[in-house]
Amino acid sequence: MIAHSLKGPGRTGKPSAALRKYGTAGLVSLQSRMAYPAAFAGSLLTYGLFVFVFSRIWAALYSGRAEIAGYDRTMMVWYFIVAEIPAFGFGRFYYSLAEDMKSGQVAYLLTRPYGFTAYHFSQALGPALADCLVLALEGILLGLLLGGPFPLTTLTQGAALVLSLLLAGCLQFFLQFAIAMTAFWIEENAAFFWIYQKLALIAGTFLPLEFLPGAASAAARWTPFPYLSWAPARIAVAWDSREALLLLAAQAAWTAAAALLCRAVFAAGRGKITANGG
Amino acid sequence: MNRPRTGRPAAYLRFLAAAFTANLQAVVEYRISFLIQVFGMMLNNAAFAAFWAVLIARTGSVGGYGFTDVMVIWALTSTSFGIAHVLWGNVRSLGSIIQRGELDVYLLQPKDPFVNVLASRTIVSAWGDLAYGYLVLAFLPGTGPERLALFTLLALGGAVIFAAVFSAAESLTFFLGNAGPLSQAVTEFLISFSLYPETIFDSGMRWIFYTILPSGFIAFVPLAVYRSLDWPLVPVLLGVAAVYAGGAYGLFRAGLRRYESGNQMGTRL
Repeated sequence: MIAHSLKGPGRTGKPSAALRKYGTAGLVSLQSRMAYPAAFAGSLLTYGLFVFVFSRIWAALYSGRAEIAGYDRTMMVWYFIVAEIPAFGFGRFYYSLAEDMKSGQVAYLLTRPYGFTAYHFSQALGPALADCLVLALEGILLGLLLGGPFPLTTLTQGAALVLSLLLAGCLQFFLQFAIAMTAFWIEENAAFFWIYQKLALIAGTFLPLEFLPGAASAAARWTPFPYLSWAPARIAVAWDSREALLLLAAQAAWTAAAALLCRAVFAAGRGKITANGG
Repeated sequence: MNRPRTGRPAAYLRFLAAAFTANLQAVVEYRISFLIQVFGMMLNNAAFAAFWAVLIARTGSVGGYGFTDVMVIWALTSTSFGIAHVLWGNVRSLGSIIQRGELDVYLLQPKDPFVNVLASRTIVSAWGDLAYGYLVLAFLPGTGPERLALFTLLALGGAVIFAAVFSAAESLTFFLGNAGPLSQAVTEFLISFSLYPETIFDSGMRWIFYTILPSGFIAFVPLAVYRSLDWPLVPVLLGVAAVYAGGAYGLFRAGLRRYESGNQMGTRL
């Protein structure tokens, strides 16, 4: 059977029903993640090790210096702790999406009574949020041990940080979804994801944008990459309510643009699905 | 219980060469996937080079290490790690092979099961790690034939140490039932400590780098040897690598006495 017109039922209806449906998908996915607490061990270990090693790098770097590019040592330790939370928690959606594409699972999922993108979004975000929460708790402990005083001083700053992390998670999902969907045209698309990952690391995860040379820093601000990690980390360690508003607005704009991109890529690619019955 | 099979070294070298050729033929069958993984891994490593370039451009050095020093330890660690996983691709799967009872098929074959199981697979992305070290050297000042030869010997020693430590951690499965988390921790720590300047770590913890997590023999001492072209230290480092390999082999043999067959039918083609 050639299924060029796989549309699937159940993609319209009341918003409250859709919310319940995708909320349930996210919750089930979250519950299955929580059923195996040992599965958190790997990311906790790697995250903790990274934070420790980078805290040592900052200690060596700041020996004899009070600040570099507007950041002192304590700020850098907390910056890295916050910047790595979305990188670890939201950074691996691509793999399950790509697997669905390569295994042909996509054809099966399209016939189910839910929207393909929305279903994946809810299913991916549920457990990722649990990961982020656990990493944040570990990060706070490590930050107090290795860095210095907790950088959040007001509830507004805390709320802005949480919102920024959520937007970073959504932006990560939509960008990774768009990359995974390129498998409609190029099956071996992992290289695109690796390039994306490395650009994200350089543009604000390992180091604040302010560390980059002027032109590179200015160019990076016109891409979505700094809004994956730099924006929340900046809100956490260098609080300025006006700048935070601008960062949140830029994150929201990039998230909307990425959602549109992912919708367009999926719409263009789904016509290429060929399903054999059985 | 089978006895150690200590055949002639030349026969084992021929066996390793044959295993390498068979593994290589298998991976290049999927050329696009092979190339993507190789270049992807090199790209992955290059991102860290960008990080160090930015950081050291601001400060001149980190813990006394300049950009060239950091790149040399990256090159050494990357190529050592790559060689270990290209030649002995099962070093980090040994535990699950033991757990699933899949050692049976190797025990029935004439070659030593430790060497046989490790060499029966290659990791595709490790080719990228292997090549990355040489790529870095090509961009560093002062690289010539002598340094390339020295680098290759140092990386071979590092590869043996990587393989020994990883396989020893995996062999603990014989004793613990599931050594997966422990092995993962050893892997993460050994790689991470080998990629950053030794001097950023407190002197109180540096003894670890010369014992259970021997980053010192993979990266830090080889860096000093590479910098000063200190050839007399090369045999010493290779001897240290042989000691680690002997320890890993001894642990595997000790564990093998506790191994129970999975009664699993298996073939190797």
